[in-house]
Amino acid sequence: MNLSYTDEQNLLRDSVSKFCLSDYTFETRMKSVESEKGHNEEHWKLFAELGWLAIPFAEEHGGLDGNDVDLSLMFEEFGKAIVVEPYLANVVLGGGILKRSDLEDKAKYIEGIISGESQISLANYEPTKGFNLGNVDCEISSDGTVNGLKTTVLNAQNANYFVVFGKHDKGHAFALVSREAEGLGCTSYKTYDGFVSGDIKFENCKAEAVFSAENALEILEETILDGLVCISSEAVGAMEKCYQLTIEYTKQREQFGQPLSKFQALQHRMVDMFMEAEFTKSFLLKVLATHETDEKRKLIYGLKNQVALAGKLVAEEAVQMHGGMGCTEEMSIGHYLKRMMVIVHLFGNDTYYLNKYIES
Amino acid sequence: MDLNFSKEDLEFRDEVRAFLDNEYPNHIREKMHNGEELTRDEVVEWHKCVAKKGWMGHSWPVEHGGTGWDATKIYLYLRELALEGCPTFVPFGLQMVAPVIWTFGSEEQKKKFLPRILNFDDWWCQGYSEPGSGSDLASLKCKAELDGDEYVINGQKTWTTLGQFADWIFVLVRTDDSGIKQTGITFILVDMKTPGIEVKPIITLDGDHEVNEIWFDNVRVPKENVVGEVNQGWTYAKFLLTHERSSIAGAPQMRRAINRLAKKAETTFHGDKPLSEDSTFNSKVAQFHLDLDALEMTELRGLAAQREGRSPGAESSLLKIKGTDLQQRLTSLAVEIAGHDAMPYGGPYGFSDIEVAAAKDAQLTAPKYLNFRKVTIYGGSNEIQKNIIAKAILGL
Repeated sequence: MNLSYTDEQNLLRDSVSKFCLSDYTFETRMKSVESEKGHNEEHWKLFAELGWLAIPFAEEHGGLDGNDVDLSLMFEEFGKAIVVEPYLANVVLGGGILKRSDLEDKAKYIEGIISGESQISLANYEPTKGFNLGNVDCEISSDGTVNGLKTTVLNAQNANYFVVFGKHDKGHAFALVSREAEGLGCTSYKTYDGFVSGDIKFENCKAEAVFSAENALEILEETILDGLVCISSEAVGAMEKCYQLTIEYTKQREQFGQPLSKFQALQHRMVDMFMEAEFTKSFLLKVLATHETDEKRKLIYGLKNQVALAGKLVAEEAVQMHGGMGCTEEMSIGHYLKRMMVIVHLFGNDTYYLNKYIES
Repeated sequence: MDLNFSKEDLEFRDEVRAFLDNEYPNHIREKMHNGEELTRDEVVEWHKCVAKKGWMGHSWPVEHGGTGWDATKIYLYLRELALEGCPTFVPFGLQMVAPVIWTFGSEEQKKKFLPRILNFDDWWCQGYSEPGSGSDLASLKCKAELDGDEYVINGQKTWTTLGQFADWIFVLVRTDDSGIKQTGITFILVDMKTPGIEVKPIITLDGDHEVNEIWFDNVRVPKENVVGEVNQGWTYAKFLLTHERSSIAGAPQMRRAINRLAKKAETTFHGDKPLSEDSTFNSKVAQFHLDLDALEMTELRGLAAQREGRSPGAESSLLKIKGTDLQQRLTSLAVEIAGHDAMPYGGPYGFSDIEVAAAKDAQLTAPKYLNFRKVTIYGGSNEIQKNIIAKAILGL
């Protein structure tokens, strides 16, 4: 048994942590959120220069052959600063599909992601279709024509390419569609956590390639499992920050002639927040240290259930103990709650994954 | 004991329904149904519509224009309004300052203010909290000094709900700081048009402008606007807060909302079957109904006590804690049902400029959830309510 990080992993954590602490104050984050792209392009370039965008890709495609532990510790640090740069959308989801696919010239597209020059979004969820990944109406014909409507496509407005999941002769397949393709309509919006997202409508769009018709659903499921580990790690980081910010705030806020932190009723609640964060972290490490595929899959379902329940509780308690100020746009704590609530529901909520855990 | 309504009660309920069918303005009904924002004029229009019927004073004594209804009638009335999805009444005049005025105010104040409140001629707001005085309200610093026949107010109030629309504000001011903090507070009524008042918006997590900071810079107010005795305001302030709390619980609105959500779950698929057939989800809904039953009975008990002439006491804290907890659970359930469709954010009332694929009611669930974080904080935070119960009911 080995529960330690490698030296390389510790170095990676230090460098991500340093970036989040020095270059990512709450004020700079909000500036990025309000900017046209919804994130800071300089930061994205920096991610590329530091090699972060190459982590989960194979060496033959210019990647660093990293694993889920590497991704997890990055996301944990991202969670502490609620980083809005579209790492999940591009590297984990868009890139995650491509790297597992049988797309012939996938190296070209992966290199684009790694260099930061290209952004590729996964378009799979559809309105009112719920969380079941196979439940789609979108159609990809054998000649590469795509028809359908996709929703909450993460980072839609910045993507040059969309990896579209849809029905196909043989079951399911992916289509690679250029943003410039005729018949593609993109409605961009922000989600309530400040990230950019969008609806994409495909009307007789010509795909540049149709691929992985043999095992598209399997690839999608594996990629979403990666996504679940990443956002769960992000939640662990955010939970830690939530209780730390609450401790700081209650230490300086005085009512009834003493700091709020002196009231035992509140101390116990902060202890509960701490314990929830630690338990969630333990669960995350159990997932990372498990390698048997079916067992790991089942544990990831359990992890998402734990994250959804504990993350929501911790972030809500943090806002409550910040009082009225916690309910304002001005303070950072409410933005942690917003991101946490999106994480709670993204790819499926506690109820959904508890059921999947029981069934698997 | 019998929970069935008498024939007379049912006739009264039908009368309320007929009133809503015939007089509740359709354009307001539609906006409320779609979760759209009402303008100030529309809020006033709704109140005037009820005032014209003579039903604004449902909780008021007859001598001041109240309806004189018993607890059952008040319950039925509020329930019908909630089931129809009517806007809730702006409580600051009707349910908060009015009882203070008729209990502690002068005859002139009663004559001047109560009829206008009952007719919704004046929109009232509340000047209680300050940046440094939230839960510890009695530590407030906003100062009023007597200068001739006028008090001069300087300082800042915060979290003033809908202050941007208000004609009048009731303010707790410090008129003496020589003794303990609870003494030396005065309850004063201020015309919002008085020079020196500035209203600054506070934007909350849902992106809405609902609350404000109110700044007072040498605001001169006639001394006859003091309610009751100078320096005795803390007593009136606490009296008002018990009235505020007992009007917060909102069981009928929640019954309507949970029924709508349960209906929605029948056509919502997160997995292979509708959510309404998912036992994990259903246990949450069932637990909600059970807790709501208990809340509703607690509310009825409180109303009955009020009609017997007992003022709502520390029991109102119980209603506030349990009611707001349920309100928040309800908003969470709504987000849960909406799933990914809750994510697109077009502001607190949805998108106005673009069409998105997610249904409008789904988009509105997240802003509502975020907005409702306030309910366990305002009206005296739930932590403070527990202190009140510990002290006043349990004798700890």
